[in-house]
Parts: sequence; structure tokens; C-alpha cells
Amino acid sequence: MNPTAVVSERPGDKGTAGRALKKDGPVGIGASRPGFLWAVPAAVFFGLFAIVPLIMVAVLSFASWDGLSDPEFAGLANWKKLLDDPVMIKSLWLSVLLTVLGVAVQTPLSILLGVWAAGHQRNRAVLSAIYFVPMLLSIAAVSVLWRALLDPNLGVPAHATWLFGDGNLFGVQAGAIGVLVFVSTWQFTPLHTLIYQGAARAVPQVLYQAAQIDGAGRVRQFFHITLPQLRNAIITSMILMVVGGLTTFDTVLILTQGGPGSDTTISAYYMYQKAFKSFDYGSASAIALLLVLVSTLISLIVVRLSGYDKMRSTMEGL
Amino acid sequence: MKQRARFSRTVVVGGAALALVLSLTGCGGGSGAADDGAIHVLVYGDAANKVEKELVATFNETSEVKVVLDTIPGADYQAKLQTIIRSKQAPDVFFNWGGGSIKPFVDAGLLLPLDSFIADDPGLKANFLPSVFNSAVVDGASYGIPMRGTQPVLLFNNGKVLKKAGVEPPRTWDDLLAAVKALKADGVTPIALGGGDRWPTLMWFEYLYDRIAGPELFQKALDGDKDAWASPDSRKALSMIRELVDAGAFGTNYDSVKFTDQGSPTLLATGKAGFELMGSWEYSTQQDAHPEFAKSDLGYSAFPSVEGGKGDRANLVGNTNNFYSVVKKTKHPQAVAEFLKLMYSDRFVKAQLSIGNLPTTTNTEAFLDTAASPEFAKFQYGMVKEAPAFQLSWDQAYPQSAATAMYQALQQFFNGSMDEDAFIEAMQALPTS
Repeated sequence: MNPTAVVSERPGDKGTAGRALKKDGPVGIGASRPGFLWAVPAAVFFGLFAIVPLIMVAVLSFASWDGLSDPEFAGLANWKKLLDDPVMIKSLWLSVLLTVLGVAVQTPLSILLGVWAAGHQRNRAVLSAIYFVPMLLSIAAVSVLWRALLDPNLGVPAHATWLFGDGNLFGVQAGAIGVLVFVSTWQFTPLHTLIYQGAARAVPQVLYQAAQIDGAGRVRQFFHITLPQLRNAIITSMILMVVGGLTTFDTVLILTQGGPGSDTTISAYYMYQKAFKSFDYGSASAIALLLVLVSTLISLIVVRLSGYDKMRSTMEGL
Repeated sequence: MKQRARFSRTVVVGGAALALVLSLTGCGGGSGAADDGAIHVLVYGDAANKVEKELVATFNETSEVKVVLDTIPGADYQAKLQTIIRSKQAPDVFFNWGGGSIKPFVDAGLLLPLDSFIADDPGLKANFLPSVFNSAVVDGASYGIPMRGTQPVLLFNNGKVLKKAGVEPPRTWDDLLAAVKALKADGVTPIALGGGDRWPTLMWFEYLYDRIAGPELFQKALDGDKDAWASPDSRKALSMIRELVDAGAFGTNYDSVKFTDQGSPTLLATGKAGFELMGSWEYSTQQDAHPEFAKSDLGYSAFPSVEGGKGDRANLVGNTNNFYSVVKKTKHPQAVAEFLKLMYSDRFVKAQLSIGNLPTTTNTEAFLDTAASPEFAKFQYGMVKEAPAFQLSWDQAYPQSAATAMYQALQQFFNGSMDEDAFIEAMQALPTS
């Protein structure tokens, strides 16, 4: 936060910062390059709603507080409790599992749908519009809807026992996780389909024409032209999925409440339980901080692996 | 010139950012509902608010200090209360479940002991059934005035289904096991259970522990005696639950069913199940959703006795009542005391009865005929009055920090994914204030 950096950009200023800037930037235009000041509103928001709370959470994770009496310094007690807590370890695995399953199910589905919807035929346009509807509904509404539809005695499972058996979807871990993955797929595939539709339309037609001349069939064209050309779209969409997966909360809250037992208690939901059901804000803060650390780590890995930080153009050589 | 333009832009942007920061920190300071000279009463938002609104209107007609009723939707009530209780928006009077639900507030020194009110007007205590009034006594001081109806847990049944299978409402545990067998043979789920909500599952534990060990065992556990959970009586109760579940009493998909979305009440009403163990609100739930069934076929009985058990057959579990507690820093204690006196007025009792609640004042008996369903009201009132012990629901009796882990253990033992020893260990690990 150094306001002089902005001031020194003024023309005629003899400050070293100004000169250094001018040397790098284009002459004349470089002088009016947006200064730090333009970032102030965003920075203030970020500081106020991300950095300050983060620091407060970090402090609170070393305290014991129920919201009623004054917070008491508790040293490492919350952290020790957390590391010995089988539910905590399990919840991290469950978060990762749900994220991985989400990516694994949604990616192929939305690539196929997106590439298909990229065609300009009228029937495709109409169906794409219908596919888009789930995305317009709120997650809460969608979750409530599916909870009712999947009731074992009054919903779909009661009429399709050949598929659902006794319909105990929410009573066994595999069933509950299946429901969570299915509902988020139903809701979020349209978004990713849209990304792939746009990207597929941006693939230059000359590539397909050249491939046709070389005698490549549709499947070959898909794997050798479309898919490589969608590389950046795949990275974008997968990052959105990973972020969405790790921050999943509302579907769990409404569909399973972390049950059966603690079998779908993902970290974010566990944090909510600790804070707003058990009123143990200290432990909840420790979970929150752990979640920040794990998420940062995962996003660093994703950025590194995907090459998001130095994304190459797919148009090279065209 | 250019320089000046830029400078003024700097000032504008900087000023805007500064204003933003100031306004944002401003809303953190809490200038909202400052003292407006009224008493704020925070209540759990549901159908019963009708009566509370009426009472407030009555009170405001004559009182100089006005009462403002703030209703918070049920699911968010506890979180909201706990968040604002220490802030400037704190209510003067608030709804709660007595017992464990107000203990942390008392420990934090936030509540006003009501004993001085009672000294001024002994009626504030004498006009309520003692077993109910006492469940809001913490460390020897009274902190709550009963303000709604009592909600004992009863064994409800579908009379038509029972008749068809040749089953009577069970008086003993063996009767119940026989009934389960007969209903199962008849092709219905013997007992509807909303296991997805978890607290309906808890009711089976509460009653079996009471019938086998008496109310003392749970009290010991609550007082911090970890051995209580590992005692032979505790193990016996657990093995009987296991026996009942394994006999198919609840079918197989009970953990996917909920009471709160009408799942289990519909099973009972449509004849797909024979029994449901539920709080007395089952009656009004059925009256709302299945009025025909509530009128003709909805039956009810006390939880069966267990041979050789130490608990009295007349013991009850459930929610003893809801209470109004008073925040220590209220500016109008006299007006609050006047408001609380309404909770034993004839008007209050009649209004509660008319919406199907059963108040726990000593004068309730005189008005039972005016209840929405006099027969059910009399049955309940008789039970509550005669009950040697009325166990507050475990999830209310324990501190809130125990609830999540308790629910998990209950559900996992019930559906067989946790064995007896693991369950005992989980219950021993619960914090006991």
C-alpha cells in the first residue's frame, strides 16, 4: 500500500520508479498505465472480506469459544483434537472423493454434450436450451426437489424397485454419495456443456476440411482435432469443477446432512456442524483454516499440472 | 491541467474507497435495533406464533412498555439466538427448551434468575406443574417460565392396520415384538421411522433406557459418570434395540425416510405402517395433512413396559415444555414480569388448547373440554400429571456441542454399522458440561 508509487507516475516526475516504468512500457501511453489506486476498491474488498476474516479465524482456532462467554486462549487444544478426530480425516477424504467423482462424471458428459451442441442444426439448438434449464435453478431448490423425488416410499424408488431395491439411498454410504454426485452432475453439467460448446465452435473449420481430405472419419476428427483444440476449455472447466467440488456445502446440507452417520460429512459441512450446531467456534475455525491450506495446496497443484499459469494458444501455426 | 485532472480523480477514487470502508465497518458496529423502549421477545417461528401474537397484542393494550415479537424460522432459531445474545440486538426475553439448552447461557452469566419475580408473585411458580417447571431450574435457581405446550413422546398407531393384522396396542415389550411379527406377516412395515432426521431414532433409545434402567442411569451419565453407558442395564437396552431392528420392525430403508418432510407420517396415515413413536405433535401433523385419518383411525398409547425393568411404565420422555427466559441486561424487568404472568392466564390456556398445544398450568384441567381434540388432550394431560419422571430429550439435556456426535452414534448403532462397544465408547466421549 504505497501511494507514492501512483504519484511518481505523473509526467515530469523525476522519481526513479517513474523512470523505470517508462523504460519498460511503451513511451507516452505507459505514463497513463492504471496505477495501484485502481486496484484499491478490489483490494479493500478482498482485505475486508478475505484477509481480515482469515486472520480472525486463525486467531480463533487457538481459542475456545461458544459465542456466549468470552473466548479463552486454548493453545493447541483445538488442533490436537482435530488431528485425533477420525471424522476430520474422513471428511477430507470425502471432499476429495466427491470432487474427483464429480470431475470424472461431468467432464466426459459435458464434452460430448458440448461438442454435439456446437452444431448449428435447429433440433440441437432447441435441446441445448432445454439442457440449460437446471443451471437456472438454485442449488437449494434442486436439492429439495431431488430429496422429495428420491423418497423411498413416496418417490421414484418406490416405483422402480428393479433399479433401487428397497430405496435406502440415503441410508448407505454408496447410495448417499451416488445421490450427491448425481444431483451436482444434473445441476452443473449444463454450465460445462456451455463452455465446451463455445470452445468447440471456435475450432477453425479449415482443420476439419483438411482432415476430411486426408480421409479422417468423425471419430478420428473428434480425437485428433476437437479434443486437442478443447485443451484450454478442459483446463478451465476442470478448475471450476475442482473449486466447486471442494466448496460443496448446500447439497450436503439439504440432501444428506452428512449422513448416514458421518459418511457424507465433507470438511465444509463438518465445519458448519462444529460452528452452528455444536457452537464450538474454536474447532470450527481450525477446520476452516485446514480447509484453506488444503484447498490452496490443491489449486497450486492443479495450476502447475495443467499449465494454467502459462496457457498456450491452440491457434499456433494457423 | 492534465495533472490536476488526474489528481482530482485520485481524490475521488480514494474518497470512494474510504467511504466504502467506513460504511462497511459501520455496519459491523451494530447500530441497528438500539433501545427503542420496547421489550423484544424472540420466539421460534412456527404455527404456534398465532397464540404468541394474540398475547402480545393483549399485553400491549394496557401496558406502557410495549412488547415486540420477533419470530425466527425454526431451523435457524438456535444459531440466530446464539449469535445475537451478546450483541446490542439481544432480545429481552427468549424462547428455549429449558435444561441443557439454557445451561451455557446461565454459565456465561447472561440470564436473570426469576426468583425475585416469584417472590413478588408466587403464582409464577405455583401455577405450573412442578415436573415441568423444574426442568428450567439450573443450579437451584429458576430461569424459565413454561410458555407453550408439553410434548411427551407416545406410541401412535393406525387402528385400521392393527385391526386387520389382529393386533392390539402393546402393553409390554413382548406384546410389541409379537405385534411386529404379525404386522410383518401382513405385509406392512410394522413401525414407521424417520431415521433421516435422527431425532426420531433417539426416541427409541430414550424410552428403552428409561424402562430398563429407570431415569437415574441417564442422569448419572449426564452428570459425567462414564461407567453408566457401560453398565449391564445399558447393554441390555442396546441388545433389545438390536433385537427389534433385526426383527425387521422398521423395514430396511428407515434412514432414507424423514418425519420433517412428511415421509413417516404419510406411511402411518396411508396404512403402509402400523406404529410410529413420535412426540405429541404427531396428532396435529396428521390433522393438517390427513384429517380423515386423524379423526377415525389415529390411535395412541403409552410406551410399553419392559418386564424386570426398573423404570415405571408411566414415565415419559420428550420435551417437557418450551420456556421464556429473561436476559439479565433487560431495561424493563417489571414489565417483563407482568408479561410473564400472562403465561398462566385463562386466556393463554384456552388459546394454546385451541391450536392443539397442551399447556402445563394447574388450571389447564378445567379447560380441557375446549381443546381441539378433548379426548387426546385429556389422555396427554393425565399422563404428564401422573408421570413419576419426565425425561427431557437427550439431545436437549446434553450440551449442544454433543448433539452431532450423539446423533451419529445413535444412527450408526441403530442401522448396524457400529457395534455395542463402539457405541458405548462414543457416548462416553460426549462432553457433559
